[in-house]
Amino acid sequence: MRALFDALADVLAERARPGELLAATLEAEGSEFVRFNGARLRQAGRVERATARLRLVDGERQAFFALTLPGLAAGRDAVAVAIDPALATLREAVAGASPDPLLDVLRDAVVSDDDGAHGRFDRAAFVDAVAHAAGGADLVGFCAAGPIVRGFCSSAGSRQWFRRDRVAFDWSIHLPVDAAAGGARKAVKASWSGESLDTAAIASAIAASRADAAVMARPVVRLSPGEYRALLAPRAFADLVEMLSWGGFSARAMRAGQSPLARLARGEATLSPSFDVAEDLDAGFAPAFQSDGHPRPRRVALIERGRHAASLVSPRTAREFGLASNGASESEAPQSLRVACGQLPRHEALARLGDGIVVSNLWYLNWSDRAAGRVTGMTRFACLRIEGGEPVAPIEAMRFDDSIYRLFGDALEALGDTTARLPAEDTYDARAVGGTEAPSALLSALRFTL
Amino acid sequence: MTRPSAGLAAAVPSAPSPGARVTVRVVDDVAERLLVRRSIVHPIEIARDRGAMVTVWRRGGVGYCATADLTDAGLRDAAEVADRWAVILERHGVFDGLDLRELPDATPLPAAPGATGEPMPSRAELLGLLRVESEAMCADPRIVSWAARLQVTRREQSLLVDGVVRSQSTQRFVEPNLEATAADGPVSQTRSLGGQYRGFCRQGGFEVIRASGLVGGGARVTREALELLAAPECPSGPTDLLLMPDQMMLQIHESIGHPLELDRILGDERNFAGGSFVTLDMFGRYAYGSPLLDVSFDPGVPGELAGYAVDDDGEAARKVWLIREGILQRPLGGALSRARAAARGVPLEGTANARAVGWHRPPIDRMANLNVEPGDTPFDAMVASVERGVLMRTNVSWSIDDARNKFQFGCEWGQLIVDGRLGAVVRNPGYRGVSATFWRSLAAVGDAASVEVLGTPYCGKGEPGQVVRVGHASPPCLFRGVDVFGGG
Repeated sequence: MRALFDALADVLAERARPGELLAATLEAEGSEFVRFNGARLRQAGRVERATARLRLVDGERQAFFALTLPGLAAGRDAVAVAIDPALATLREAVAGASPDPLLDVLRDAVVSDDDGAHGRFDRAAFVDAVAHAAGGADLVGFCAAGPIVRGFCSSAGSRQWFRRDRVAFDWSIHLPVDAAAGGARKAVKASWSGESLDTAAIASAIAASRADAAVMARPVVRLSPGEYRALLAPRAFADLVEMLSWGGFSARAMRAGQSPLARLARGEATLSPSFDVAEDLDAGFAPAFQSDGHPRPRRVALIERGRHAASLVSPRTAREFGLASNGASESEAPQSLRVACGQLPRHEALARLGDGIVVSNLWYLNWSDRAAGRVTGMTRFACLRIEGGEPVAPIEAMRFDDSIYRLFGDALEALGDTTARLPAEDTYDARAVGGTEAPSALLSALRFTL
Repeated sequence: MTRPSAGLAAAVPSAPSPGARVTVRVVDDVAERLLVRRSIVHPIEIARDRGAMVTVWRRGGVGYCATADLTDAGLRDAAEVADRWAVILERHGVFDGLDLRELPDATPLPAAPGATGEPMPSRAELLGLLRVESEAMCADPRIVSWAARLQVTRREQSLLVDGVVRSQSTQRFVEPNLEATAADGPVSQTRSLGGQYRGFCRQGGFEVIRASGLVGGGARVTREALELLAAPECPSGPTDLLLMPDQMMLQIHESIGHPLELDRILGDERNFAGGSFVTLDMFGRYAYGSPLLDVSFDPGVPGELAGYAVDDDGEAARKVWLIREGILQRPLGGALSRARAAARGVPLEGTANARAVGWHRPPIDRMANLNVEPGDTPFDAMVASVERGVLMRTNVSWSIDDARNKFQFGCEWGQLIVDGRLGAVVRNPGYRGVSATFWRSLAAVGDAASVEVLGTPYCGKGEPGQVVRVGHASPPCLFRGVDVFGGG
């Protein structure tokens, strides 16, 4: 894929006319996708795709053209043949466009190279390992393996490259439905990821998840709506924090009256002093350049000691509202979130919870009142009733509806003393880069409504 | 051989292994996005996404490989990779007792009539329309954000089975929208034309923009955002609920469409999108809703977003009933899922709904056009029948459990109904329920005159993920004794 990127950069440099700036953001992947149902293969295949989002700037005018390149192995000639008609369309669009008052373009030649370790994946070995480790368990899962690339190049001489190779396997072990509890589902969720396939590590992780499933064999209990003490596992707590990526951290959303963090930004509310959130490239999830090639700062504190520290400001938003950009991409959503850990040791967490609920996973979160910061969602997978610090039984899936100002504020009793590394698993349209590091969280109350 | 509409220049590869079959689905999407936000014309965004999904079908396994390299060598390489996966699936797949080579049908079908509608005006004229509406939306200082946008996508698709063109089609998807946000201190309210997630979306041409209400809609959207800003919160408690078509769209989607997907019922999605409270033994006997509930899978409604003649595995599509007089009839299940169910001893009639978002994803069971059929109650009569209730329109929030049962939905616009009359506007209206019982509280279904053809471009599902377009047509519907609430 490096050769494809170089070909793209060469063609752009060659095709730019005097006064024009040509740039491209490359998103590429060579992915093996494997689905399991009942520990057997449901669907498997390979997807090779590279999309160049071309940008033509001429004076104060600009336009974009996202083009699928003709294969990951396309050479310079094939890239040129694909790009030339798109360039002609772009030139026509720019000629008819109005001047863009928010135009902000990287005119420097920025060169960076973050190639990551190159991995390997053996289809048959992987499938054999999973089938063997699952034994008779009802394993349902999905693996996405192979390299993911982000690149930026321009006729001004920029060449920025980011590649990560990942084998990301995410699965759940399902028990028979609980007929006595109205057909309630019982399952545990687990995942493994690495740069290369490691069949022994995957087999070991599957064995651990099968052992975890044992407690789920107990009959499901149905909770009444109300408030419950809750221990959120890192994945569940990260899901809650990631909701703030939906317009929360965005400077544009803040000014559009659509940010759930507006009250925090205005100083009308504070969160727990132990709640620190930052966009932190040192987590290694995301490239050090944003969607238009601008270099990004290594760290942007977003919430510090429960108070608003900064919003994510893209170059266009900076121009529109007279702000300073902090290297955010056009979406102004974080890509590499770090939630600071606290002081709650893992081995003490259940005892501190006492009587309550352990929430391993949340599901289908949405704002029930976005401006007020009210969020709803469901519990999912291995969520357990705890009494006296001991697991008692799995619970039926419950709906919560609560305020982030309470959940990250007065209700936040403690944070775990370690963080879990949670790479983004999103594969909509293309495999995502990015991720979150988060600890577990002990809440004095989570409000269940249904 | 007929040349495929999506412009495949190379030869279709022959089967890499004796006896195997090869299908090639070529998709060529060209999209254009126009945006005027806060009276600023943003740069034009054009996209072209063209490639091929090559699938190899062996006796007990099927594998795929998607490539944008449409040369002879590129397609041949893709077929070889697909075949290697098919071999592995023969050993470890879920297809016991099936001969998958029997599924692809190579009989050519007549080309589908193009769903491209009236000619579109020029880009400059379309931008002019958006600018006019944008200007109409910023007349009040309390309007802090406003946007007018349009996305038009033209898709050409061909499906070749063993080198024979089974089907080809040309479609145009049109998605206009307006949004205005009014704010006053800590309160803000957003009103939109068809929902903040493009609920007004259809196939066709300029007639779609005309029907959307975009022209002249800026003033209406702004006025309603300001009305909501001044309105009280929606009250809480059990009451009658009158859902308008732009919320029925979401209600149908989440609590009828997804639970009826056969792949979910077969367990494929339990690791991600979830399973279903519906089980294989329910078809033909389960009371999904009140006797007023009739639900169809109808790929032939003119202009509806997910209309098509043939699904992405090559099965010809036709209108069928999923729920008739409240009784569950059949699932949303394509040919492969139905074959798997039959192999388990449960033969079912299904739908031609194996669909993929594009060339780079394999087909799975999806909704297409999923509609609540009209009843015989005029809108005014439904309102008149309510002593105390709330009317809700335009979806803004949606959440439902992984079995598609416990849901909570929110709308942009609420209006009290008191003693048979529409009354005060209320903001942040929401409601909760359980799919398995909610549809049984259906008390009235609007007549044919009240049906609106809507949909969503954002139906997510699958591993790897796929966001596809679906259509939902519905009249307003009245439900009794629903738990409603407001914001804050």
